[in-house]
Amino acid sequence: MPKPASQNRIALSLLAKYGTILGLFIMAGIFSVLAPNAFPTFGNFLNVLNQASLSMIIAGGLTVAVIVGELDLSVGYAASYAGVLVTGLIANQGLPVPLAIILVLGCGGLIGVVNGLIVTKARVNSVIATLGIGTVVVGLNFAYSTGAPIVAGVPDSFTQIALGRIWGVPNDVLIMALLVTVLWILVERTPIGQSIQAVGANPVAARLCGIRVDRIKILGFIIAGVCASLTGILLASSLGSGTTGAGDSYLLAAFAAVFLGSATLRDGEFHILGTCIGVLIIAVGFNGLAIFGAATFYQYLFQGVILILAVGLSSLSRYFAEK
Amino acid sequence: MSGAPFVSVRELQKHFGGIQALKGVDLDILPGEVHGLVGANGAGKSTLIKVLAGVEKPDAGSLSIDGVEVQLSGSQQAADLGLSFIHQELNLVPCWNALENIMLGAPKRTRVGLIDWRAIRAQVQPVADKVGIQFPLNAPVAKLSPAEKWLISICRALVRKARLISMDEPTASLSIRESENLFRIVRALAVEGVAVLYVSHRLDEIMDLCHRVTAFRDGRSVMQSERKTLTRKQLLEAIVGGEAPVSEHHPIPYDSSRPPLLRVSELVSGHSVREVSFDLQKGEVLGLTGLVGSGRTELVRIIFGADQPDSGTMMLEDRAYSPRSPADAVNFGVGFVPEERRAEGLFAGKSVAFNLTIANLLDLRIQPWLPLLDGRRRAGMAKEIGSRLRVKASSIDTLVDHLSGGNQQKIVIGKWLVRNPKLLILDEPSRGVDVGARGEIHRIIRELAAQGMSVIVISSEAEELPELCDRVLVMAEGKIVQELRGNTITRDAIVHASYHRTASAV
Repeated sequence: MPKPASQNRIALSLLAKYGTILGLFIMAGIFSVLAPNAFPTFGNFLNVLNQASLSMIIAGGLTVAVIVGELDLSVGYAASYAGVLVTGLIANQGLPVPLAIILVLGCGGLIGVVNGLIVTKARVNSVIATLGIGTVVVGLNFAYSTGAPIVAGVPDSFTQIALGRIWGVPNDVLIMALLVTVLWILVERTPIGQSIQAVGANPVAARLCGIRVDRIKILGFIIAGVCASLTGILLASSLGSGTTGAGDSYLLAAFAAVFLGSATLRDGEFHILGTCIGVLIIAVGFNGLAIFGAATFYQYLFQGVILILAVGLSSLSRYFAEK
Repeated sequence: MSGAPFVSVRELQKHFGGIQALKGVDLDILPGEVHGLVGANGAGKSTLIKVLAGVEKPDAGSLSIDGVEVQLSGSQQAADLGLSFIHQELNLVPCWNALENIMLGAPKRTRVGLIDWRAIRAQVQPVADKVGIQFPLNAPVAKLSPAEKWLISICRALVRKARLISMDEPTASLSIRESENLFRIVRALAVEGVAVLYVSHRLDEIMDLCHRVTAFRDGRSVMQSERKTLTRKQLLEAIVGGEAPVSEHHPIPYDSSRPPLLRVSELVSGHSVREVSFDLQKGEVLGLTGLVGSGRTELVRIIFGADQPDSGTMMLEDRAYSPRSPADAVNFGVGFVPEERRAEGLFAGKSVAFNLTIANLLDLRIQPWLPLLDGRRRAGMAKEIGSRLRVKASSIDTLVDHLSGGNQQKIVIGKWLVRNPKLLILDEPSRGVDVGARGEIHRIIRELAAQGMSVIVISSEAEELPELCDRVLVMAEGKIVQELRGNTITRDAIVHASYHRTASAV
């Protein structure tokens, strides 16, 4: 019976391609029915977007690193460090807020450069290299803060960055939207972006085309590092303090979102728009869990299962694309 | 060494995709004979070996062992029947020692199920002595020479009671003395009744060592002969085939007064490129050939900046040219179409447009100061090259994965066309493409040359270069051993020169 089998295959490949978007709508639908007064409201919509923005920024940067074919496990620790460093520089060293932010963003870029150099020049596998550098960053974080949260002396001008709104839209959401647009244009509509995709698709062929593969990979790590720092800064701003482990949990959420995204619309290929969908799925899921007052451990269960599902879906859609 | 054959192959056929690799092959291997197997690259030798090894299943034809027809279901079954295969790249585990490699996959166990190293050593040592292994068996394989690795591989075959050992280009990486030692062992194996299938491009060795010889050409066994009644000339003719087909191509006469585009002087890189010098003129199609391992690939990798030479200089248009990377070479105006299309040339999972424009992104900026891609110009560029090369794709947004090999190859070549490089290097441009696409690729190359581009074409197929080139350089053992011009570029001349061994190697 070849015909039903091939129909099954088409159905499966469609499911692999559009399943994530379908899943997002089904989840939103279920929550709307079960909690009609809490979930489907404009206020909650903004709330979900607000919660999603920090994840989106870090996941967007991570997407670029993954497109060039490398993994960056240091982004969560880099975000934590950025939060501690920016509050410390403002509160303890008395730097003006804009200067502190620029310095910390630069610091994130520097972490990316180090990651990139270790991966391309010393030829260390990116999982190991970024795990190592991430741990070094944790060490730097503790060395700077001695482990204690930086609470005192954080001015309103800093906390207002994340808490402020323009026309009722939280600043975080606006910053996220701006960044996602920039990243999308960079990856999809610029020569550098084409090179980034080429390096990820076939590094040997890219080199033989005259693309400087090492530089492109380092650039991928830099973008991931800067975005991680930005997430850390905004997180510290919304918390009003710098805490040593505040950003760590963003790592898993970002990875889940990136892999969910690769199973969206394109056949297992990583892309910025897909990552947006992935982030939304996780944010909506968390939001639902919170509305129903689920215990904290459900969040971990949800996130772990989503990560496995995401990678599974991603491989499946690639598998069906090759058939 | 007489009587019934140990292995008997009749009318064997095998195709891969659209390519008929074996069109009908007969082969008898007698117990205790050294049987030479010769043929050009792509003639079907390695496909036959894969079928014998149980790795590939034939489409048609029969295989008999000891007169009994068998259908091999896997490599284990082939090994159980006494067939053993030593590949050119020697499948040894580098970080293990010799003994572990010899026993790989067939360990003896003690009563409690652990590997019984004492029993293994007792079994292996006499075999090791027989093949003349003088190094300790606990030496890690990574530290051994190629010759010593061959001894380990032979030892492994013998420990498994092999009755036929197939050897693929055994002397490719051996010195003369090491080769002679190997010949001694091969002859001793034959005396003991082990058959050896000896695959080699080196006709001297075939004539010297083998009892009988089978020649393959274009997927068929075209000759099986006793070596005693065979001349070297007959052997060459069997490999090359009859007269070359009439070519429409008329080489442009070489005129030494024209200024060269590229001047290569005394390039040296390890043992693979040894003091190579040549000139390339503007608008010239220069063929570069030689057997696998002759140094031709290493030479063009240096010209394209992928590797750095130990010494020597290059000039491009009278300027010093020493590219430190392929990106450097591209900036100098050099393009490269690599041999391994899928692994090194094509961006799988990407569109035709992506693949055609990837080497030319800076030209597609909206403005030099505005680094955004001009989508319309990009599409126009892709369409223009696509139609110029007659790429058959439903649209420029089609993924290249869905195209035929010939169309994929046109795309890999096509990405250089807009840049209009001064020098285009093509490594095996028509490998794995059908006859029609091959003709078109040749036409494209001639057109580019007519427009003033200089082209270097590497090819293993002796038939290809006479159809295409104005001049051919033949390499052997890292040196240029022959330069052919105009009407002297013939298939026979190329084959003769390729099998020539330089005096320094003897």
